[in-house]
Amino acid sequence: MPVRLFLALLAMFVTGEAAGQVRAIEVLGPRPFGYFIGDVIRLQVDVVLDEPFTLQAGSLPRPRPVTYWLDLKTVAVDDRGINGGLHRYRLALDYQIFYAPLEPRELAIPGFSVTATDGAHRVEANVPAWSFLMSPLREIMPRGTGDPVYLRNDTGPMILPVRRWLSLAIASGIASVLLLGLLAYNRAWWPFSTRRKRPFVQAVRAARRAFRSGSGAEAYRAGLLCLHRAFDATAGRAVLADDLSSFLKTAPAFRPLEPEIGRFFQASRRAFFGADARGAEADLPRTVLIDLGARLAEAERGLS
Amino acid sequence: MHLARDVDTTLSDARGCAQALQQEIAKVILGQERVIRLLTIATFARGHVLLEGDVGVGKTTLLRALARAIGGQFQRVEGTVDLMPGDLIYHAHLTESGKPRIDPGPLLAGGNDLSVFFFNEINRARPQVHSLLLRLMAERSITAYDREFKFPFLQVFADRNKVEREETFELPAAARDRFFMEIEVPMPVGEEDRRRLIFDPRFHDIDALVAEVREGVVDFKELPIVARAIQVGIRSSEALEAYTVALWEAVRRPNRHGIEIEGVDTNRLVLGGASPRGVSFLVRAARVRAWLEGRDMVVPEDLRDVFNEVMAHRIFLDPVYEFRREPIVRALCRAVFDKVAAP
Repeated sequence: MPVRLFLALLAMFVTGEAAGQVRAIEVLGPRPFGYFIGDVIRLQVDVVLDEPFTLQAGSLPRPRPVTYWLDLKTVAVDDRGINGGLHRYRLALDYQIFYAPLEPRELAIPGFSVTATDGAHRVEANVPAWSFLMSPLREIMPRGTGDPVYLRNDTGPMILPVRRWLSLAIASGIASVLLLGLLAYNRAWWPFSTRRKRPFVQAVRAARRAFRSGSGAEAYRAGLLCLHRAFDATAGRAVLADDLSSFLKTAPAFRPLEPEIGRFFQASRRAFFGADARGAEADLPRTVLIDLGARLAEAERGLS
Repeated sequence: MHLARDVDTTLSDARGCAQALQQEIAKVILGQERVIRLLTIATFARGHVLLEGDVGVGKTTLLRALARAIGGQFQRVEGTVDLMPGDLIYHAHLTESGKPRIDPGPLLAGGNDLSVFFFNEINRARPQVHSLLLRLMAERSITAYDREFKFPFLQVFADRNKVEREETFELPAAARDRFFMEIEVPMPVGEEDRRRLIFDPRFHDIDALVAEVREGVVDFKELPIVARAIQVGIRSSEALEAYTVALWEAVRRPNRHGIEIEGVDTNRLVLGGASPRGVSFLVRAARVRAWLEGRDMVVPEDLRDVFNEVMAHRIFLDPVYEFRREPIVRALCRAVFDKVAAP
């Protein structure tokens, strides 16, 4: 438990009026001795002001190198509020010391001043310096290297036994990549995006749905369109009736169905461009169309 | 009802004539079946044609054969840099008695029966001549001797010299847009055809060759009536109309339809063109093609077959791409038909 010492009391260098506004400045530090190079000292400064006065944040010291051996690391202000006409503040200042004395020596953390104001007047509140005793880490003349225990490097960090965890991490990493690959295949993401799609399988499903939606010419045309889009998707371009032979050249798996496909295109031509959907339906009834779609879907599995 | 039957019989009769017309011309012109077919389409759509092709592939022979087969007068003018509009209309010369005299020129010489007017190397002629030709093509009439002359059966064919650039006047966009088709006359590709063209003496005497074509296979005076009957009698369905509009949209904004052409930024490729007149010409040509195929409805294949010839010269590209125009426009047309789904 740090020893708290009462070090300094009121500092009154200003006029009587101003003195009435800064009620008290108190610097509380830990023990004033037994410090080595690199230690951090936390000073606590209590400032008590008369009521309308407040501390100006801009006048507080900022973290910085104070002298060549002293760094101010952090500054924290705690406004503890007004009580009985007095405004209390508590500052917490962390100093780090880098002085390397050859023998125990007294040093002082320099004081500073902060400004308080009530809007019209400004007063300075001087925080006094704080002295402490600093000690060397070792004697002036080291005894030499005889004793192996004397002044050695720090021991290296101890390595924790993580072999098991490491192999588990690698295994789960491999499993994740495999699962991602499966997902990519399932969703046809890259590099599976070029995987052969099955347009006719989907087309038959869509055509069935279209036929279920009604018995009119519109529904029949919608069913024809489903198959048309499947032909387009298979060929990678729009396929017209006259393109049948060139289409079959690029997709020879469909060649056995050539007469039926030709009949489909004729019916479609009649339904769309001859505006005779009823006649087309008589030529190529819905059941035959679905049957053709199913056979095309079967044939497309043969495509590489 | 009567009218409908009349249209049907007119169409089926005329189809036989059109078939015969193609066969007659194919007798004397080897290896140009597609060009002959396109010319037939243009003839039955009453459209003017701009011919493109190397020198000596037989453009003039082709037109003379066509003119002989459909009857009427054939006139031909060579475009030169000093040709003036008056030279087409009037023929100024000195008579035997030494008196100056102004006779009707090439356009007026044949009277109303002028059926084929061939303007060779049109881009050698001056803009004044182009503008006379524009009027002639648009209205089929000219003003001469202070009165109007009408040519109801006229079809203008023009040939553009693509090889030389000196002393030429590029056709303005408006003039090109008025041509119904721009047909490329290629070299015959078949080796047999090439050999015959080189070695068979039959193809060396052009006059005798053209004389082999049977005269009046089609009556040129009937052509406007047949053309009207085709446009009335061949149906275009709602689906086809939607398809045509989608094609048009895709040509004008290729980037929005996911069209990609190698080495081309499709976002800025097409500046304009593909006018409503052009698209209406496209449908007109497609109707004639459907009729030649023996159908009474237009299908997307009809549009595709004539698209290049009717639309390519109406598409105006960014100047950066104008130099490579031909392959780019061809790729664009192909991509449009690949991307736009039918029906």
